[in-house]
Amino acid sequence: MATALENLEEPSGLFFDIYGSFDPNSVTPRLGRLRVKGRQELETPNFFAISSRGVVPHLTPDVISASTTIGGVHMALEDWPSPLHTFTALPRSLITVLAPRRTPAVSAPKGNSNTAISVFTSTGFQVLSNKSYISYIAKLRPDIAIPLADVPHGSDPGTKRVAKMGDRTQEWVTELLNSKNDEQAVFAPILPIDSLSQYEYLNQLADELTDGISGLAFYDSNLLPDMPATTSLSRLPRLSLDEPSSPRQILRQVSLGMDIFTIPFIGFATEASIALTFRFPRPVLDDPLVSDGVGGSVLPLGINMSSKTHTASLKPLSTACTCYTCTAHHRAFVQHLLSADEMLSWTLLQIHNSHVVSEFFTSIRESVRRGTFDVDCDEFVRAYESELPEKSEQGPRVRGYHSKSEGPGESKKNKAAWGNLGKFEHGISGLVPDEPAGTLENKGFAKKADI
Amino acid sequence: MAAAQSMPSALDFELVARCSTTKARAAILTLPHGPVQLPLFMPVATQASLKGLTPEQLEGTGCRLCLNNTYHLGLKPGQEALEAVGGAHKLQGWKHNILTDSGGFQMVSLLKLANITEEGVRFLSPHDGTPMLLTPEHSIALQNTIGSDIIMQLDDVLVTTSPDTKRMREAMERSVRWLDRCIAAHKNPTTQNLFCIIQGGLDLEMREECCREMVARDTPGIAIGGLSGGEAKADYCRVVSTCTGLLPELKPRYVMGIGYPEDLVVSVALGADMFDCVWPTRTARFGDAITKHGVLKLRNASYRNDFGPVEEGCGCICCRQGKGSLGVTRAFVHHLAAKETVGAHLLTIHNVWYQLALMRSVRESIIEDRFPAFLKQFFADLHGGDKAKYPDWAVEALRTVGVDLMM
Repeated sequence: MATALENLEEPSGLFFDIYGSFDPNSVTPRLGRLRVKGRQELETPNFFAISSRGVVPHLTPDVISASTTIGGVHMALEDWPSPLHTFTALPRSLITVLAPRRTPAVSAPKGNSNTAISVFTSTGFQVLSNKSYISYIAKLRPDIAIPLADVPHGSDPGTKRVAKMGDRTQEWVTELLNSKNDEQAVFAPILPIDSLSQYEYLNQLADELTDGISGLAFYDSNLLPDMPATTSLSRLPRLSLDEPSSPRQILRQVSLGMDIFTIPFIGFATEASIALTFRFPRPVLDDPLVSDGVGGSVLPLGINMSSKTHTASLKPLSTACTCYTCTAHHRAFVQHLLSADEMLSWTLLQIHNSHVVSEFFTSIRESVRRGTFDVDCDEFVRAYESELPEKSEQGPRVRGYHSKSEGPGESKKNKAAWGNLGKFEHGISGLVPDEPAGTLENKGFAKKADI
Repeated sequence: MAAAQSMPSALDFELVARCSTTKARAAILTLPHGPVQLPLFMPVATQASLKGLTPEQLEGTGCRLCLNNTYHLGLKPGQEALEAVGGAHKLQGWKHNILTDSGGFQMVSLLKLANITEEGVRFLSPHDGTPMLLTPEHSIALQNTIGSDIIMQLDDVLVTTSPDTKRMREAMERSVRWLDRCIAAHKNPTTQNLFCIIQGGLDLEMREECCREMVARDTPGIAIGGLSGGEAKADYCRVVSTCTGLLPELKPRYVMGIGYPEDLVVSVALGADMFDCVWPTRTARFGDAITKHGVLKLRNASYRNDFGPVEEGCGCICCRQGKGSLGVTRAFVHHLAAKETVGAHLLTIHNVWYQLALMRSVRESIIEDRFPAFLKQFFADLHGGDKAKYPDWAVEALRTVGVDLMM
């Protein structure tokens, strides 16, 4: 392993080392190591799992320990109805990140004010002031806190708003840094607007505020090349809140020097019955995806596990995968669970999908270390489709805080669990079949009759 | 009715202890996938999955015998897929024992939609309207394909509260005839244990008659069926006690559909060994935790800032202290209940653990011959020591086996 050139220890208890040659002026992928007191080290580039209400969806804490290599968890303050919840029962080895909003966040109908933002809790929209957020951080003591930022989730800000965003965020960050205790690590938010519009704020970060911050949290990864090229900022770990929708977008952000990711598509894939199957930089040699007839020369990034083709398949979800799901179970079981609406389907998919992404980052780090990252990226782009397969299945019940109504006339997000008895598609009138027993018997148990 | 016959068995029943006061027994039942300790509660993994738990998590609760439902597995994934996969153990990655019902119980719930004749039951699947016929031969063939360690005969189930004595007698006698068809259809008697199911409603004479007929068929185990359908608890107890009095001592006795803790301990006192019920796992999904002091509805706002374990002294991974503890609090379950699947998973782990641990302590007390004292402590804990709150039916039933809770 390369020796760490930069090893600037901070008072916060959070350390980030960048391996290899390090030039604040260049835009390149980089290898690092994030260390947080009491937690397992995180080799970067890597990712933090996104949590909902303090849990990684579908995974109990014992399953996280036993069957995943998740290194950290992103949590949203809006998921906490009351303060003082250091009680998520997560494995102690995991790094916790607290942000004010979920990722992705539901856009709020009310804008932010000079002192507060709108958040969407399980009991509806609420106002979260910077003052109370700061006190929540003090009580919840996450390993990493992301200050309040004036981000207009879901809508493009107008000129006037853009002007305010930098000022408000700068003020909120300053307030937090002035009142937090020394132990608390803070990742300063970088706003999803061009660098000129937040010029003053960024300069403050590079200058006066630099001692108080332990990292940067990017709402837009395109800002990476435009950051002030000071050593004090460049040496900081960079967390992406940019919601990459595909592995390609992750690769692009890594190439710009992103270190740690939050990746909504892991959960999206799980709840859409998709088992991720991509590997970096190329599929394993005997990957049968092509011969399965799933794709032509370009491979899909995942396969839909609810397809009836898996009904009797004893194969792992993806070839040569070493995750719990692929070693202890098989496609037939996952397909059955999905078809039977059993919750274990999402658990098994979540374990698998987290594993695939963990392996993806392991391979990225090896590739950067080898110095072959650029050609490897080219090969990956040639081998795989650009986006995930379309969602086809109804996933778990959607809750209000997961997604917001888009307006009137919208179709229901959740299917009705039960329909009217007796109204069946094929128009049977009676409730009890009256064919001769022999006819039914010939059809076998639970076989559809052709009526 | 058919003549008595003898059949092979794939189990070993070792009686370990007998309570000197009540009819309770402790035994070791060795099945094809390993031994289980009786008395025993069996959680229900209806569709080859215990409501979100991995097989390893279920194993971690101490469970070595769980249920699958034949009716559900017949629909999904279907017999063909089960055959291709190699049975239910392989389908769900479960190394331990499985018991499957016959699909017969679904008749109670589907009775209005089903038409029962001598051939079998015909009904439309409430799921998608598929016309279905379930015969004893179908049921056994399916269970043979599932490969469960204990399989159940198809029986003609009638709600016990039915006032129609004639129909009740028909159902009882038909169940005996169907048992003969099940025995004849059973392809794997040396690897799968077929249990008969005693029917006869609340009519004790009919139950006695059914016991005599079915015991003569010499199945490896015996179930008491048709109960848990809304009958008075006192009637339930009379039926169980009557049947256990007529059953051979060296065979396991399984009362179907029983799961409330007080029902379990009383039924054990009346001589039953095995029980199953969806209630512990279903109630977990509603945010209800079973404890020895009663059920806690953790969705209630009063638990929002309750940072104690779900149950003090419980050994499950949520509650236990020290090594292997998750440190789950009531407040955390409250926070998750009915919002995140993980909340259901955690309480499911706790509730299954509770039921199995209850039966373990019942067993220990039988072996140490202090079961009557155990019963007294159990009801005292459950009702906060207030004897006025003890259910009459339990007090009455336990009196019949020599235990007076009021003393």
